[in-house]
Amino acid sequence: MSKAEGRKKMSKETRRTLVAYSFIAPNFIGFAVFTLIPVVFAFILAFTQWDGSNPIQWVGLGNFIKLFQDTFFLSALKNTIIYCIGTVPLTMIASLALAIVLNQKVRCRGLFRTISFFPYVASLVAVTAVWKMLFSKTGPVNAILYYVFHVPNNELPQWFVGGLVMVSYILFSVWKYMGYYMVIYLAGLQGISGEMYEAASLDGANTWQKFRSITWPQLRPTTFFVVVMLTINCFKVFDIATLLAGGDNNTLTPSSTVLVHYIYQQAFVNWEFGYSSAVAMVLFVLVLIVTIIQFRGEARFSNS
Amino acid sequence: MKKRFLSLMMACTMVVSLAACGGNSTTASTTAAPTTAAKATEAATTAANKDTQAAAEDITLKWAIWDQDTTPYWVALKDSYEATHDNVTIELVDLGSTDYMTVLATQLSGSTSAFDVVTVKDVPGYATLVQKNTIESLDEYIKKDNIDLSLYGGATDQITVNGSLYELPFRNDFWVLFYNKDLFDAKGLAYPTNDMTFAEYDALARQVASTDFGSQVYGAHYHTWRSAVQLFGVLDGKNNILSGNYDFFKPYYEMVLNQEADGICRKYTDLKTESLHYSAAFAGGDVAMMNMGSWYISTLISKLQSGEYAAADCGNWGMAKYPHAEGVEPGSTLGTITGIAITTGTQYKDAAWDFVSFVSGTEGAKVMAETGNFPAIMTDEAMEIISGLEGFPADEQSKEALKVSNLYLEVPYHESVSEVNSILDTYHAAIMSGEKTIDEGIAAMNEEIGKILK
Repeated sequence: MSKAEGRKKMSKETRRTLVAYSFIAPNFIGFAVFTLIPVVFAFILAFTQWDGSNPIQWVGLGNFIKLFQDTFFLSALKNTIIYCIGTVPLTMIASLALAIVLNQKVRCRGLFRTISFFPYVASLVAVTAVWKMLFSKTGPVNAILYYVFHVPNNELPQWFVGGLVMVSYILFSVWKYMGYYMVIYLAGLQGISGEMYEAASLDGANTWQKFRSITWPQLRPTTFFVVVMLTINCFKVFDIATLLAGGDNNTLTPSSTVLVHYIYQQAFVNWEFGYSSAVAMVLFVLVLIVTIIQFRGEARFSNS
Repeated sequence: MKKRFLSLMMACTMVVSLAACGGNSTTASTTAAPTTAAKATEAATTAANKDTQAAAEDITLKWAIWDQDTTPYWVALKDSYEATHDNVTIELVDLGSTDYMTVLATQLSGSTSAFDVVTVKDVPGYATLVQKNTIESLDEYIKKDNIDLSLYGGATDQITVNGSLYELPFRNDFWVLFYNKDLFDAKGLAYPTNDMTFAEYDALARQVASTDFGSQVYGAHYHTWRSAVQLFGVLDGKNNILSGNYDFFKPYYEMVLNQEADGICRKYTDLKTESLHYSAAFAGGDVAMMNMGSWYISTLISKLQSGEYAAADCGNWGMAKYPHAEGVEPGSTLGTITGIAITTGTQYKDAAWDFVSFVSGTEGAKVMAETGNFPAIMTDEAMEIISGLEGFPADEQSKEALKVSNLYLEVPYHESVSEVNSILDTYHAAIMSGEKTIDEGIAAMNEEIGKILK
């Protein structure tokens, strides 16, 4: 009897756990099959040579040694970092400025908010086509440079090759994504109590002082979130590079390539899954380090 | 208690059904009732029988192709094969042309039985499929059926892998010089001939060009592909794209970049940002000469007939042989072969081989020629059919231009050919966009490809 009771008690507990597990199972199985297992597999692949069909060969650190002698990889790394350094602060400043302006009681506020948000909703392929037209050799931007600023014909810039290509990526990215971060900042601004501004006004603070002492510190958690998301998204850039500079056979030159494009190229054009995973690991470590630094910085700020 | 049990059961059902979705048919049949399982075994046995007596049973062969709507020969080949083989149905699966080889290789990596017969678009893609063991060696079949490989004019030698062939070519395109007669007439110049050296070609391009604003005429046009510029260099028969030393590209890059600088041809960077297609460029009526593959013949003819291209702009066109280096006989040109292969996973190997030998053989060649395309087996009959097509230039010189003396594949087979190819593409783009000088770009090619070829 006591034995049976014990079993019943056990099974009751097990059953409760089972119920709980079964509820998270659908989500977890999906996550494991499509994310967790591939990620772990990619970690292992980084130390191997594999073309997707033939047996996997263990090469140890070989891929990583090869990586740092690969000039094309090094330019991809450099370009990705430049892109992030350019995009993160600019997008942050642009979206914050937009949010502050559109948080005032201005005329047609809703309309301007919609306009600012529009690039984010618009199809990337369609808007890159428009940008390529705008910035083409004979496009409107160069026409303005030619007619208004009298830049001679042979000195008109080529926006999608050579040194300017990164500038084009950054400008495009800021324009495309500032609307999204503007919405996040708007939500942050709505959360700041109006009493603080009232008190500051009574003390005779001007607009800049109000921004420095109230808005900026109060928005810190929002800014932190925006910066982390922006950084992660910036390191993942692929579509913008492919669409703006890839051309019809999707070839990027050393000055226009980025890490994720190189990962794609190695994996699905050259069928070097091992080498490609090694590049992905470098990207992972890079994002990890930057995010850790940001979290540390945030923790120090909120303690002080 | 009852309720809790019920909810547990429901949750379990959800989990199981989710797992079944992702699983393959074997898991499905094990969970199914025993009667269904028995039926499944029965079906499997009949399938096995089917395999042994393939010829008599109804067979459906899945064939991977691209751009069914704009490429007339897929359906023509399918129809003419099915007309003589009652029991075989060819199912065309269109993977699109842009990244055809990537999509195909990915699908076959998942399952080699995804297709029975596949079209192989280019040599780098062929190398990938062979290395992934996804396509079958054809040696035994070729031996058994006594296929005469000499009919392919040496093309098969350039795709042999360790003594074995894994595809047979059925389409063979080669590069010629298209020109717009009206533009030469307007300047009172003689048309390009079938025997021009590169120096003569360059001089002619400069003569026919006109840089006047508003009535601009480009003497030449080079599409953004590396083949359009680099591969002038391999036509002398001495240099090879797999040699690891690319110094021989230099004079041709100089020729083209000088033409760009002088406004003789459109700039590479403009072509790339505007994504200008070569067909639209020539059809615009301001390009006097353009080097392009013979596939453009059927495009030009059909688009002129449909009225998409204005006859006033480019209706009066002709063809000449590729220019040649000093001291080399004319008629050497670049070739691109399109092959057909059998997958290693197919159930119907013999039936697939029968179809492959039909498409790549003389019967297939006739079908190809009738649709205006160049078959890999270039018989006099096929040549007559093509040059007799309505809309083909009537002059003798254009017909003569189709006669090729030496054909060099854009890339011959090598185990690392796709990597070599992507490096050449990258630095071609770098040189043409002015990001690197010619010397720097060639040095980078030599260095990086040198590492791969060792």
